Amino acid sequence: MEDKENKYLEKYSKNTHVIGRIVSAATLIMLVGAPFLIGSILGAAPNLSAVAMGFISVGLIWTISSVVEFLVYTPMLGSGGGYLAFITGNLINMKIPCAMNAREIAQTKSGTPENEIISTLSIAASSLTTIVVLALGVLMLVPLQPILQSEALQPAFANVVPALFGAMAYQYFRKNIRLAMIPLAIMSLLFVFVPSLISQTSIMIIPSGALTIGLAYLIYKKKGSL
Amino acid sequence: MLSQLNSAPLYLICGIIILFVAIVCVIFLVRAYKAGIAIGMDKAKLKRTITSSVTFSILPSVGILLGVIALSGSLGTPWPWLRLSVIGALHYETQVAQAAAEQVGLTSLSAAEMTPEAFSTIALLMSICIMWGMILSFFFNKAYLKKLSGKKTENDSPEVSEGTDENSGKKQGFGDVAMVAMFIGLVSAYIGSYIGGFVSGEGLFTFKGDLTPIIVALVSGLVMSLFIYLSEKKQMVWLESFSIAGSMLIGMLTAIIL
Repeated sequence: MEDKENKYLEKYSKNTHVIGRIVSAATLIMLVGAPFLIGSILGAAPNLSAVAMGFISVGLIWTISSVVEFLVYTPMLGSGGGYLAFITGNLINMKIPCAMNAREIAQTKSGTPENEIISTLSIAASSLTTIVVLALGVLMLVPLQPILQSEALQPAFANVVPALFGAMAYQYFRKNIRLAMIPLAIMSLLFVFVPSLISQTSIMIIPSGALTIGLAYLIYKKKGSL
Repeated sequence: MLSQLNSAPLYLICGIIILFVAIVCVIFLVRAYKAGIAIGMDKAKLKRTITSSVTFSILPSVGILLGVIALSGSLGTPWPWLRLSVIGALHYETQVAQAAAEQVGLTSLSAAEMTPEAFSTIALLMSICIMWGMILSFFFNKAYLKKLSGKKTENDSPEVSEGTDENSGKKQGFGDVAMVAMFIGLVSAYIGSYIGGFVSGEGLFTFKGDLTPIIVALVSGLVMSLFIYLSEKKQMVWLESFSIAGSMLIGMLTAIIL
């Protein structure tokens, strides 16, 4: 790579972190500040002891899962995509598959500047789409509500995630179907025998992913690819 | 109470924050696009990334909109709108709101019981419980990614750490393999949970659970295989951008028919 390009990328990456940090902090302040501001408009401040109690009962679980999400997803998203995705949320049901799909189409390799750019573009475009869809939806809430909440459409929206993962499964399982069958079989058996874990699927991703990475490493050692 | 929660000042506050985040997205989008061109990436590729990401995101976004509507009955529209536009996560939001409502002494999350204090408390708890990703990004994104890429330089073949298109040979870096494997594991966990739900969801081995998610996933996988066949074998490359969204749509339609 040319020296000029390298310098450009170095600067780009440095600025990404500066901007990423500033906007993360700003969003955080606004998000935590908003309930106080709204509270003052409504005439009642948040009950801080109830918040503390609530945090202990539900928040601790989210804190742990946030740490896991951060560790697992940041390498997938890169720096720009990472900052944006953690600001805009909906990682597992949208941002991660979206970025993976974009990488698949652009055929970039992890850890390259191309990949960083593709995933940033993908996350930004995806986030903007959600913002626009939600804004339009809120604007047209009155006419839209009966349609979207109609009995007939409920099964479709209840199955957004299975539809997404079905399509992604074909896309990824075909890369090495024999490898994919192992975690699929093990996870299916696990959920069949311990159905109480079904509500914990977002955490069960971790052992499933770790197992698959381990198996993939063995294949990689042998073949040099999947 | 609900009319207060749907009042103009609340729309204004939430709207401004959402607008800020939208501007941030535009900044990242433009910067990445310019950087892509500067390092000589194909413009068509960059545009295709944007198109595919937009089409990809429309259906899940409508699903998220349903979450806004679901919560708007008890929390008004502006707050759920903000929560689901900015670091919201559809499946967590309702759960946290519910738990928060219990903490402030409501028997359930409903407009009838809502008070200003209850609302601002629930809102604050919803913000706090989900802010960790941003905090971690703020402090550790840079160091973490640096550490990862540093590791690669030591362990992996040079083409990975060099990271340019020209010299990446046939050999895949393990970073890519690990990413694909992680994703296979992730999808396996979800599909496994649908199978488990069907077989044992209503009691061990009763086979009385919901079969719909399995069928939907199968149908959308099949449609995906058709899309991939068309784009790879029939050179209809433009289809790639719409393949996931199209597969999902047909999968979701199956759920209606069932």
